[in-house]
Amino acid sequence: MINVQLFFYFGIILAIVGSLATAWGPGVKDPIVRTFNTEVASIGVCLVLLCYNHVLALLTLVATTVIITLILFRAIIRLEEMGADV
Amino acid sequence: MLFLPNFVPDVFVSMYLPAIYAGLIVGFIGSMAIALRREEIHILILTDLIGLAMILVVSAVGTDLAEALILPGLVVELAETLAISEILISREMHKIEQNPRKNLSKSSSLFPVSFALDMEIMTTAPNFIALVLIAYGIFLTGFTGGAVAGGGIVLYMLSKKARGMPVLIIDGIAGVSGIAWCLWIIGFVLFFLTPSLWLLSLFLAACGLLLKVASKVGLIGLLMREDIDKE
Repeated sequence: MINVQLFFYFGIILAIVGSLATAWGPGVKDPIVRTFNTEVASIGVCLVLLCYNHVLALLTLVATTVIITLILFRAIIRLEEMGADV
Repeated sequence: MLFLPNFVPDVFVSMYLPAIYAGLIVGFIGSMAIALRREEIHILILTDLIGLAMILVVSAVGTDLAEALILPGLVVELAETLAISEILISREMHKIEQNPRKNLSKSSSLFPVSFALDMEIMTTAPNFIALVLIAYGIFLTGFTGGAVAGGGIVLYMLSKKARGMPVLIIDGIAGVSGIAWCLWIIGFVLFFLTPSLWLLSLFLAACGLLLKVASKVGLIGLLMREDIDKE
């Protein structure tokens, strides 16, 4: 029997630690590192949704996370190529 | 007092408060970080955290209502990020054009180097795989079916080399989208006027949503192909 509560609390801790890392973690002056750090929090939220049996929400979260990461990378790359201070 | 429908399991009730507090903490951290930064691109990345906090708070409800609320929230967040990133890029472009000492290099695509997608499987397989995906998506109907069928359309459009879609086809896709909205609204109205026709209205709404999502995802594939196949 898998303990649901264990996964739930692990997901919550992962979400909080990931958001702390995104806000003040090491190397977040670089926007790419910051984008990667949001993934940690996103995995935590995925675990929480898994515990609640929200299948459709979980699938949509995974899909939109991928697309948002692509959009952010495109924006960062374009801004850096134009020589803007990021 | 706490109003609790009796179909919510006890496990979800015990997980309610931790999830709400975690959402509040994540949202607080995200907004503090936004308040401390000045660069717009960092703020855009941090907005993602606020979206995650929203999902945590909504998911704490624990019933189908939560699922129904999370889906539009995610889609709206996606559209918001896309729009704001475009605004940011064009604003920086204007700022640099104003400055005579800096010259603007020519605009780049998603991939900084020219990225030619030249694989055997991209020319032979997609006809069959796209057909299977679209058929399965139409069988599923609704939001999921639209996503699956749209994936098939994206695969087909990415792999076929025909550049430059005629304007007529793009107009056609927009028209299909409008018809889908009409189906959805008719289904919704029928649901309230004549509840005995619930099956018909359910299928009208589901097929409308299928057309809508599939055509939108197909348009994303069109844009991506224009971006990727650039030599």
